[in-house]
Amino acid sequence: MALSLREEIQANAEAFKKTGCLFGLETLTRKEADPGTYEAVWHILSNLCNAAWATGCKVSSSPIAAEGGDALWGLHTSTGEAICISRGISAHAGLLSDMIKNFIDMGYEENPGFKAGDIFENNDPHYGGIHSPDFDMCMPLFYDGKLIAWASCVSHVSDAGSVTPGSIGFLNPDCYSDGLPISMERVGEGNRFYPWYEMRIRSRTRTPDFVMGDARGRLAGCLTIRDRLEEVIEKYGLDFILEAGKEYVEDSRRYAVGRVKTQTVPGRIRKSQFKDLAMKGKRVLLSKQDIDCAFNLPMELTINADASVDLSLQGASGTVPFGENISPTALKSGLMMGYSHIVGFDMFNSGPIAAWNIEMPPGGSWANPFELNFEAASGVAWAPAVTWVSNLYEVFGRLFQMRGFVEEMAAGSGTIMTAEFSGINQTGMYLTGLTLEQASQGSPARGYSDGENSAWCIYTPEADFGNAEISELYYPILFLGRNVAPNSGGYGQFRGGLGHTAVWMVHNTPGLEYQCGDAGMRSKMVANHGMYGAYPVVPDRPAYGHKTNMKQLIEDQKPLIHGRGDPERPLIASLIDAEEVEDNAVAPFVTPEPLQNHDVIVHPIAGAQAMGDPLLRDSASVARDLNEGWTTDRVALDIHGVVASKPNGAFVVDEDATAAKRSAIREERKQRAIPFQQWWSEERKRVEAQENMDPAIVTMWATGMELSPKYAEELRAFWALPEDFTFSN
Amino acid sequence: MSRYLVACDAGGTMTDVIVVDEEGRSVIGKAPTSPQDESIGYMESFWEALEYMGISKDEGQNFGASVETAIYTGTSMLNTVINMNGYKTGILVTRGFEDIISQGRGSQTFIGAQWSEITHMQYRRHRTPLVPSQLARGVTERIDMFGTPVIPMYEDEVREGARSLIVDEKVEAIAIIFLQSFVNPAHENRAAEICLEVMAEVGQEVVLEVSNKVAPTTREISRANATVVQAYASDPARKQLYRIEEELAKTGYAHSLKTVLGYGGITNIRYPRLFEAAMSGPVGGLMGAKYLSSVIGEENIVCSDVGGTSFDAGTITAGVLPIDREPGFQDMYVNVPMLGITSIGAGTGTYIRVDPQTNRIKLGPDSAGGTPGPTFMEAGNTTPTINDVNLLLGILSETNYLGGKVKINKAVSEKLFKEKVADPLGLDIYEAAETCLELLNVMMREHLVNSLMVGHDLREYVLLGYGGGGPLHLLGYAGDFPWKAVCTVPHAGGFSAWGGACMDYSHRRHKSVGAVITPDLDEATKLQYLQPVTGAWNELEAELREELKVEGFDPDQISISRVVYMKYYGQLDDVEVDSPVASLDTAEDMNALVQTFEDLYAKMFTLAARPDVGAYHITEVCVIAKVATVKPKLREFELADKAPDKAAYKCSRPVYMRGAWQDADIWEMEKLVPGNEIDGLAVIEASNTTLLVPPEWHVRIDAHDIYWITRKDS
Repeated sequence: MALSLREEIQANAEAFKKTGCLFGLETLTRKEADPGTYEAVWHILSNLCNAAWATGCKVSSSPIAAEGGDALWGLHTSTGEAICISRGISAHAGLLSDMIKNFIDMGYEENPGFKAGDIFENNDPHYGGIHSPDFDMCMPLFYDGKLIAWASCVSHVSDAGSVTPGSIGFLNPDCYSDGLPISMERVGEGNRFYPWYEMRIRSRTRTPDFVMGDARGRLAGCLTIRDRLEEVIEKYGLDFILEAGKEYVEDSRRYAVGRVKTQTVPGRIRKSQFKDLAMKGKRVLLSKQDIDCAFNLPMELTINADASVDLSLQGASGTVPFGENISPTALKSGLMMGYSHIVGFDMFNSGPIAAWNIEMPPGGSWANPFELNFEAASGVAWAPAVTWVSNLYEVFGRLFQMRGFVEEMAAGSGTIMTAEFSGINQTGMYLTGLTLEQASQGSPARGYSDGENSAWCIYTPEADFGNAEISELYYPILFLGRNVAPNSGGYGQFRGGLGHTAVWMVHNTPGLEYQCGDAGMRSKMVANHGMYGAYPVVPDRPAYGHKTNMKQLIEDQKPLIHGRGDPERPLIASLIDAEEVEDNAVAPFVTPEPLQNHDVIVHPIAGAQAMGDPLLRDSASVARDLNEGWTTDRVALDIHGVVASKPNGAFVVDEDATAAKRSAIREERKQRAIPFQQWWSEERKRVEAQENMDPAIVTMWATGMELSPKYAEELRAFWALPEDFTFSN
Repeated sequence: MSRYLVACDAGGTMTDVIVVDEEGRSVIGKAPTSPQDESIGYMESFWEALEYMGISKDEGQNFGASVETAIYTGTSMLNTVINMNGYKTGILVTRGFEDIISQGRGSQTFIGAQWSEITHMQYRRHRTPLVPSQLARGVTERIDMFGTPVIPMYEDEVREGARSLIVDEKVEAIAIIFLQSFVNPAHENRAAEICLEVMAEVGQEVVLEVSNKVAPTTREISRANATVVQAYASDPARKQLYRIEEELAKTGYAHSLKTVLGYGGITNIRYPRLFEAAMSGPVGGLMGAKYLSSVIGEENIVCSDVGGTSFDAGTITAGVLPIDREPGFQDMYVNVPMLGITSIGAGTGTYIRVDPQTNRIKLGPDSAGGTPGPTFMEAGNTTPTINDVNLLLGILSETNYLGGKVKINKAVSEKLFKEKVADPLGLDIYEAAETCLELLNVMMREHLVNSLMVGHDLREYVLLGYGGGGPLHLLGYAGDFPWKAVCTVPHAGGFSAWGGACMDYSHRRHKSVGAVITPDLDEATKLQYLQPVTGAWNELEAELREELKVEGFDPDQISISRVVYMKYYGQLDDVEVDSPVASLDTAEDMNALVQTFEDLYAKMFTLAARPDVGAYHITEVCVIAKVATVKPKLREFELADKAPDKAAYKCSRPVYMRGAWQDADIWEMEKLVPGNEIDGLAVIEASNTTLLVPPEWHVRIDAHDIYWITRKDS
């Protein structure tokens, strides 16, 4: 008697446990017997997913899917493992796979049953979703009456129906405010959505045409996969597709293991990083949100002698009353996406995740919230979690360096501060949505060169901010600037790629809400510190002016504002007058009241982290950055120790003076330095006394230690604290 | 005395020159492309073509006197950008956008990259900017999407910026790019006037290009790139073309050299917007196919070109060649109209490797091209290529490579392929070779069927293969898909050059507009909303007529097409519609245009449901001005016997196919004539190409000398 899908999953797990190979595939029979067909079919299946992406994005016709490509399609085994995925937002590959497994595990095979043409969806983090705007879909695919595979898709809709407009619900206090939930539901049959599905979207989202367009796009892509897969089966035979499909997953696992074996060294490596969310005194929804929060994101990676990898995320702090909590399923999926950025899989699927043993964050933490806090909100669940992806870059960067693979090293990524608008636009239409600005940050410095400017985004490899003229079609804004933001990358021998600054003047609207959102930004803390002596990226600092004198300035043809200026000397207040000016606003926030015509927003996008001591930076590179306006003479002199002047329109370095300046800076450093033991002793006293510790920091440590006893034990041991030591407010 | 037409296709690897007489007879010469001085490759190829006519180089010293038209298609503009040897260029740009060129946009760092390269962060690279930020000067000004000036232009900033660029920076060219200038060009045009005033004041003239003149279409980054390429590379590239013209003149050629525009048309090399010729390489083939389609009466054709480095493909649907209005060019997106062509890195020179870690076969995407070529050429390459495989499998002849002019060493191919590919895979050398060949065919097939043809019904399309490697791989990538028919041409290796000779003298102008008509509007309002379309048509036509007048054409020689880019409202992709009316003044005019759009849409997207909303969106207009040229005739021959002349049969040679050596008939293409038919398994060899006919296929040569290949069982 044939096994049920749930039994197959169990059998697969047992086979993996026994053999160390997925599906028990110790030999890749199809690959070995016919490497050409194996490769050809892989190419065809990948292309099939890309055809789904092209079709689905076109059908969607929403700005986010169509212009931003923020969607993904996948082909899965009958038990849910992703065989291959399309281009697009690869962070969801694992998540879609887990959703299918979840449907099987929850007994849907028996009730309501799986049949051809069924459409299942989930966007509920309680059941493995990431956040409500990301609608995950799957459809069972049948051949000769047998369920042989699944097609899947996720797309990010412009409005999730949450308490605040848009899709970056960082202000959501609880899951009830997260918006429209689709909780592991069959939402259609016979390749059509149920009528009530559309009715619900119409009554519960602010941009239902776009949201339904995305739903149709998801479906069109899945149907493309279904139809094309049938053709492939006709040509190559069902047995080949079923068997090779599993081999592709196992092959990818082996590749992941191989990369660890050949490019890293055994041992244990840790990376600590923190993120904050400063909301005290700002516009919030509930009084309990009038607080600042901090997140602990520790990572410990152990590479064993047999190249197996253990990853521990213990120590994560407790949940927060904002939309920054994430389900472990989504977290795991995001981490694997990060791994693909470092390694560049051409066969990326569910295989690599099986190559790692991941100890998830403790239940009740912000990264595994629902065991202890079922109400936790996940409106923008990626926000802190992307920092773990950045940790992964750095951890592997160090490992690659140890084996000499300098060209593969990457310092940490930039932070992500979003801009989301809502209001009546210039054509009289209500619109809410994300700009594409944050999808194009600086890329991390490499082991041998600077990062690239505006060329990378941690949540999608298809990093791009598009054209300003296209954004002006949708939103009632006028771009006053979109240049490289000077000094926005970390300082180092190789600097981080630089971000850019969008400067907008509100134009042609009765009122516009500007939400400077958190999708991984920093309020006051710096992001990770770069590598090998580099300096960190400055925190995210937008600016805006409300009820300004821009109209007068324009009439008088006076200088306007086109950039942020030096991060330490923002320009806005010196250039415009306004009833309300925030020249260095602490992100994230929603403006206290809607902005009006001639108001100005300065929205900087982060650069990425740097590599190496800035005093080692080639002085010619500093001069080039000065000439391009990408750094300032203050930074050149004080940070890089480069003495440059501009005698004839271009900066020229005085090499002798530079050598002297650098020598002086090194001497200052020596003077400032103290022995580690001394630092540790002084610092220990402060820790034990909780001296000058912000309540957010105390809460972070207290909850993290409470939720992860082993982590707490190590922390106490490091600081030589009493066994019963705890932090408390 | 006979009159001749000479056309050239300078590819990345080889330069082909075709010489066509008044009867449509043609010969093709081939020589390596010479980027440093393209006249060298051009003339070498020209002399070789004459050799095929029985004219030696000595005898042909005055041949140019009998050439009516000489055309260049190729890479001179591309080489100027690659080698960064264009004019020192500065930009005047909307203040706040000074980094528009140096910053570019993220997606420009992965144009044409494979997904594994896109996901791998370390591969990110911006190209070296043609204009560094230090040569950018900001000008305070803004016009909104409706064309309303919101911030007036600060004229003193223009004056100061221009002076600084010309006097201090000593630029040789200035490009002006302001946001939304395609809607309202007033600021840009005034800035240009000020630049001219400054030039006069300082007594120095520099090239001046204005974005609303160069490419008046939306998307400022692509418009800026196009304007800068025009300022930076046009004049320097033109110098290469003058060199070719000089060399031709030495042979008595008395006219100006013509070049091919990216959207399929020829023009004088003195044409002002030469940047439109920057991507003319693959155009010849598509235009040749379009001409061919008109002769054979097929309006849906899939054009596939296999070269040494890439596989280029495009479609003709309902007789229309789609235009890509924002193609990628040298890691930049540019607002330059170009025939819609998609490419992958797969050709006869594609490298074959086996990944040491995964033991998986990797084809390309890089290639050995013509230099150093396959390993059997012993020119320095030791990585096996697809052509090594073709040789090992017996498909390519050891004695007929490039017409026998290139000596090859099969033993080298055998040794290297065994060591680097077959042994790691654990396969027999020939089994491994066939595996690699089939994988290449799958990649090409997928590119055609699942990328290019999404939304189209293959049963309505003829698949045409050309390019030096086209006939070699055509039936491999045709596969068992239900094409309406499969065909190739005997001069496949020079088909792109031949196509260059099939084009009209043509100029084309685009302009973005935004006209939406919805069913709830009354007729008068609809017509009012459509007025910008007629206005833009009139404006563009006046410009084009003036250009052609300056080039010496009479108004009555010029034919005008008015085009709109139109879609159902809310859709992403628009469709190019040749308007049946010259203006949109009446309800009849409007209805005629809508009907034409709907008919075309139904023909183009047979597999897609037509939206039933009654709302239409015109995004862009275009005017095409043409002057008809004399084209090579596609001669019609009397049909000979099905059985080829015995002299055409060369020999029998074993070819490895489907796991076994099989005897293939080897034929000499030059001795086959219309009417002949050949059964597979056969190899038909010509000097510039080889047609492989697998056992289940049958070839029939029609009266136009076109090779139609059908399955024996069909």
